[in-house]
This record gives sequence, C-alpha cells and structure tokens, in this order.
Amino acid sequence: MAKQVDGLIKLQIKGGAANPAPPVGPALGAKGVNIMEFCKQFNARTQEKAGKVLPVVITVYGDKSFDFIVKTPPVAVQLLEAAKLKSGSAEPNRIKVAKVTWDQVRAIAEDKIQDMNAFKVESAMKMVAGTARSMGITVQGAFPEPK
Amino acid sequence: MDYICLKIEFSRVHPWRDVLISDLDQAGFESFVETKSGLDSYIRENNFEKEKIQYINDIEDVTEMSWELIKDQNWNAKWEENFDPVFVEDKLVIKAPFHKENFSQSMEITIQPQMSFGTGHHQTTWLISKRLFELDLLDKRVLDMGTGTGVLAVLAEKLGASNIFAPDIDEWSYKNAIENVELNNCSMIEVALGDDQLIKGKEFDVLIANINKNILIQHFSVYSSCLAKGGKMLISGFFSTDAEDLKMEAAKHGFIFEYTFNKDEWAMMQFTR
Repeated sequence: MAKQVDGLIKLQIKGGAANPAPPVGPALGAKGVNIMEFCKQFNARTQEKAGKVLPVVITVYGDKSFDFIVKTPPVAVQLLEAAKLKSGSAEPNRIKVAKVTWDQVRAIAEDKIQDMNAFKVESAMKMVAGTARSMGITVQGAFPEPK
Repeated sequence: MDYICLKIEFSRVHPWRDVLISDLDQAGFESFVETKSGLDSYIRENNFEKEKIQYINDIEDVTEMSWELIKDQNWNAKWEENFDPVFVEDKLVIKAPFHKENFSQSMEITIQPQMSFGTGHHQTTWLISKRLFELDLLDKRVLDMGTGTGVLAVLAEKLGASNIFAPDIDEWSYKNAIENVELNNCSMIEVALGDDQLIKGKEFDVLIANINKNILIQHFSVYSSCLAKGGKMLISGFFSTDAEDLKMEAAKHGFIFEYTFNKDEWAMMQFTR
C-alpha cells in the first residue's frame, strides 16, 4: 500500500549546502522529520551542483519518512550563467548588461518547461525572454520561427 | 545562528520571483521559499545588509517588503524527542537518554543529539561504526573530522583509543559533542570548533571523516600530511556512485585503497598510506 502523504514542502536551497537553519529546519522539523538526515541526503545528491540554487520538492509521509526531487536551477539563475554574468542589472530597463541568443533561451525553456506551466516550448521561450528583459539581458535577434 | 527572513510580495509574480531569487543569491541569501504571491528569502543575520536590498522597493511590481528576525533554536527537537535506538549487529547499541530498557549488545553509547549529525540511524555512521570494531584502536591516536554528535569519537574511546581529536565547524555540533562526551564519561576526547586548519601539524593513526564528497576531496591533502605511515583512513558521507572519483582523488595524495563497504546507496571506504 502506498504510504500516506503528510505534506509537500517546496524550497530552493544551494546545492551541497543544506543545513538545519531556516527555512529547512522549521519546515521539516515541524513535521517531525529528522532534518539532519534530509541535509545529508540532499548534500550528497547535489555535490555536482554545489553552490547553485536548486528547487527541491520534499514529500513527507505519515511515518515521518520523506523523499525528494531536485530540479534544475531557476530560469534567472540559468540566464546569468548563459550570459556569463555574476548578477543582473540593478536598473534593468535602461542598462542592457549582457546578451544571450535565442538558442540559449530555447535550451533554458526546454529545461524548465514543466515548472513553467507552459505547453509549448515557444510559450516557455517567451517567458524566459521576459525574465531576461527584467534582468537587463537582451535576447539577440528576432524570435525564431517554430521548428 | 540567527537568520533574517526577507518577505517580498508581488502584484505580478512572473518574472520577479525568479529574478529576485537570482539577485538575492548573489547578495548572500542562502535559501528561498515561494509563497502564494511572493517570496521568502533567508540569510544569516550577520550577513544581512539593508542597503543591498533597498532597490527592490523601487521595482514597480513589488507591493510589499519586510523582514523579520528568526532566533536560533533546535529545529530538530521534535524528532529528537522520540527516536528508535540503533543496533550495530550484536556489538553496539546507540541509544538516547530516554531509552531505559536493557539491551543485549555488549557496548552502549548514549547520544542526546542537538541538531547535529550522528545518531547511528544514517547508513554512513553505521558503516563506520561497524568497521571500527574490526580495526585495532588500542592506544591509537584518532581524528574524527566533522564529529557532529561525537558518536564516532566516543566509540573510538570505548574501543581503546588513547587520544581522540574531534573538530566540527558547526557550533551546535561542537557544543553537542562536548555534551555527549560527558554523557558517556569519556576522558580521551578533545572536541574543537573549526575546520581542517585545526589538524595541520598533528599526527594520527586512524582518521575518520564522514562528511561529503567535495569536502573530502578538498581535505585529502591535509589528511595525507597528518596520517601516520601505515595508518588507516575511513571516509564516508557519499554515494556508492561517487566511490571511484574519491578513490582516484585519494590516490593523488598517496592513499592506498583497501576496501569499500556499502549500505543501501551509501558507501564507506578504507585507505592506508
């Protein structure tokens, strides 16, 4: 029989750096989960992405056990990487601090399409481009025709 | 350690939630929770600089921004109130002070965890505990790097080690290890607060490190300089799938691979030099 689900917890934590401090501690601790066990497992599983913000969805069961899914970094974090930037422009509408290509936008859109509630990759690409604009990153060229 | 929770509300969540996660990540914030119409972001209180986040108020779609202090406390207390004892075959039971029953195991260790790692429940602690029974620790100098609750240091003393050094970088673990050393009437263990700098210039016969892959690789050089010739190094805190990488990295620092032991998806490796 499937285990009874007690709750879903959605957090964004840096790879390899989960610790029992907030928000991990209060979120898991309140459910009686052994926080240290979660941190050990999350950190071991994310060693290759150490330091990167990673969304994680934790399922807590009635017997205080848990499992979790680690997703790829948020769109904005991936855009910074694609543009080889350290952080976005503080004045996004006036200062264009970097450029990315539509191919890079497509790659991010394809990676995050499920998390973005988009059905078509073109819709996801437009959302990624919107995020880029808000960060002061210009997408070079015209929107590509659907392949 | 006290934390600040920065609470931001948006009139339009996309793209701002995502953008601010990336910005605040760069500003030293450690973790995030997506709320219904906003974002809660967490940073250590001593890293929080108000000036760095003022620009967020100027973003048109931000409707509210506030922050609150979250005082440090033992968030793991609920689990720690009631957990099962752990048995390492017929040799050892790791129990809490509230376990009053008699156990048939020949050795008992009492651990009162305080938001620290090492109650024996985890496969890695179990694997190292089991292996320590198979090594000769009599009168040996032992290092328990990243000691957590101090459980492995306590076990080393019970198995005859004469001198045990047990550092941890986490303040909760440092205090908790001292507490557990006293709880088990140990007198050969020195608990310390700090990182691998603390072991430079020291020499050990047995080195235990249950941490994680990246930290172990970073530490191999200093471990190599402080493990006596013919000494044993037991490492864990990683998955079996990472064992080959660690073996290769350890070899670069003169460690000779001896064994791998697995439990579920976790591994423990033994080296000598």
